[in-house]
Amino acid sequence: MFLKRHKKLFFILGIFFFLIPVGLLSEYPAWGEWDVDFFKESLGFIPEGIKKSTNSINLIPDYSINGLNDVVSYYISAIVGVALIFLFFWGLKVVLKNER
Amino acid sequence: MHIPDGYLSPETYIAGYAVAVPLLAYSVRKLKKELNENSLPLVATLTALSFLVMMINVPIPGGTSGHAIGTAVISILFNPWIAFLSLSIVLLIQALVFGDGGITAWAIASLGMGFLAAFTASFIYKLFYRLNKNIALFLAGWFSIVVASLFVAVVLGIQPMIAHDEKGNPLFFPFDLKITIPAIVGSHMLYFGVIEGIYTLTVFKFLEKINSQVFSDVSKEA
Repeated sequence: MFLKRHKKLFFILGIFFFLIPVGLLSEYPAWGEWDVDFFKESLGFIPEGIKKSTNSINLIPDYSINGLNDVVSYYISAIVGVALIFLFFWGLKVVLKNER
Repeated sequence: MHIPDGYLSPETYIAGYAVAVPLLAYSVRKLKKELNENSLPLVATLTALSFLVMMINVPIPGGTSGHAIGTAVISILFNPWIAFLSLSIVLLIQALVFGDGGITAWAIASLGMGFLAAFTASFIYKLFYRLNKNIALFLAGWFSIVVASLFVAVVLGIQPMIAHDEKGNPLFFPFDLKITIPAIVGSHMLYFGVIEGIYTLTVFKFLEKINSQVFSDVSKEA
């Protein structure tokens, strides 16, 4: 489908894809996106609501896969994320076509 | 700005869903009208790009890090509604698959980084477009992420007021506006706004160059 016609678009996607391990260089999280321990240390307690909701189930939590090297996990995460996004828009295209 | 689960009181995130879901439903209707064989791949690519750029965490002084969000460029190339929907999809995938941002906080995140960022970008771009297109692109990026950060800072900062126990201990996010505004908005004005501005300008220019055909089809509507 659009693979052929929009080959150049993938060029820019490729550039950013290869750049993503740069994101692993920082050991610090974004402001506010701390581990639960942070609250224990800074406040002396963990707010109830935060304590109760620490176990969510995700396919690839924190973009890291057990037993795999950080960079490899990050690349796999990127592929999964990008694939899901294209899947969504491909699905949307099918739905829109059927409606017309 | 990826608010984890447990940071927002139910009052806040339910209100977030109540506002975001109808707006998203409307954005899907908007999208139906504007998307075609030419624009859909570009929107999908820019949405994927937004996901990738959010993985590139940039460390800043003060022991934190952050990243661009990529909302402004989608908003300018297409329209704010499409950018809002694109970002909502990215944030949903981040929350569900990677645990980056909570699912309860998804609606609030999508209102900030999606809706507000997108409409701010579009407004700023139109305001400065005649003056200088490059400056307009940079400013659209800068303002979009700064406004989003202000929204997130306010939502987080009001949590201690909304919910605390009898002893006055906060139940959810514990720091008030006096802390959240300088920390979140300040860092976005100084660093991430600049990164978003450069990203918006670069991606726009790059697309203009490599894909003038695809580009000319959509820029007419901008």
